[in-house]
Amino acid sequence: MAGRLTDKIALVTGGASGIGRATVLRFAEEGAAVVAADRNPGGLEQTKSLAQKISPDIETVTVDVSKLDQVERMVDTTVERFGRLDVLVNAAGVLILTPPLAEVDERHWDLMMSTNLKGLFFCCKAAIPAMLKTDGGSIVNIASMAGVQAYSQSLPYAVSKAGIIHLNSVAASQYTSQGIRMNCIAPGFVDTPQARGSTRSTEVIEKAARYHPLGRIGRPEEIANTILFLASDESSYISGSTFVVDGGSWSVASRL
Amino acid sequence: MEKLIEITNKAVADYGFRQIVQWSPEDIVAQWQLSSREAEVLTGVVKDELDRLPIPVEPPDVPQEQERVAGIIRQALS
Repeated sequence: MAGRLTDKIALVTGGASGIGRATVLRFAEEGAAVVAADRNPGGLEQTKSLAQKISPDIETVTVDVSKLDQVERMVDTTVERFGRLDVLVNAAGVLILTPPLAEVDERHWDLMMSTNLKGLFFCCKAAIPAMLKTDGGSIVNIASMAGVQAYSQSLPYAVSKAGIIHLNSVAASQYTSQGIRMNCIAPGFVDTPQARGSTRSTEVIEKAARYHPLGRIGRPEEIANTILFLASDESSYISGSTFVVDGGSWSVASRL
Repeated sequence: MEKLIEITNKAVADYGFRQIVQWSPEDIVAQWQLSSREAEVLTGVVKDELDRLPIPVEPPDVPQEQERVAGIIRQALS
């Protein structure tokens, strides 16, 4: 079933790699015009090159989502290039490993909060007025299972992701009636450069796969498929929800 | 110089932190209050070295990579 996003204009942050890149490519396959945004210009160029094999309607914007002026420029660029904004996917995020709470470096806390939570807030803040000018839209926020369960490897990351889940709920209560649906995804362990980099070892990835109920960790494309559903009109009666997409590992763990 | 080496050591071992050093160095410069010369080294030779690192640097390789980049920093700031 192709064309699930025909005539839609989508903006995807974190588009240089991982879940963001997979989303850009999936959206392009389904007929959307897509703006891929990230602070990594080299990664963005690779995404653009891959996406242009699918569709010519691809644009890139280099942006640091923790800077409001850059975020506003990103939204302006999208509207100037394609005329409006229908879908925002907030996939930009960063995970810095930290020691337990009492030893967390304030600077590491600030760096994660400013990208993961404040950055997502800025993107919604800039995109919502643009969406309200047309027929509304769909916002998909990427949290993490770290925002649902206790994730001891990085308290600031876990708190920022929990904040995203709650931001999504509150903002959905404010904007769903105006035609903007907002939903959140909490992915489990997904094979992205960020996840590989944060495990500090490929051995950890292999071990995680062995203990996963599916015998493997997730693929970015599998998260992108869920994002696609929430971005499309197929999810027209869904807003304010958070979806755990972890291949069943949480449900299995909770039975132990 | 020690602050810059501390930043680089973390960036070698932790990919998330490395990405901020690579793509938002102004935040690192501000948070760690680096001098203009340290900032220049961070955005120059240090970034070049970080760009070349694998994801992740495997644990047995971390100390030698950290020492190698620290050596480059010492040379750049000497």
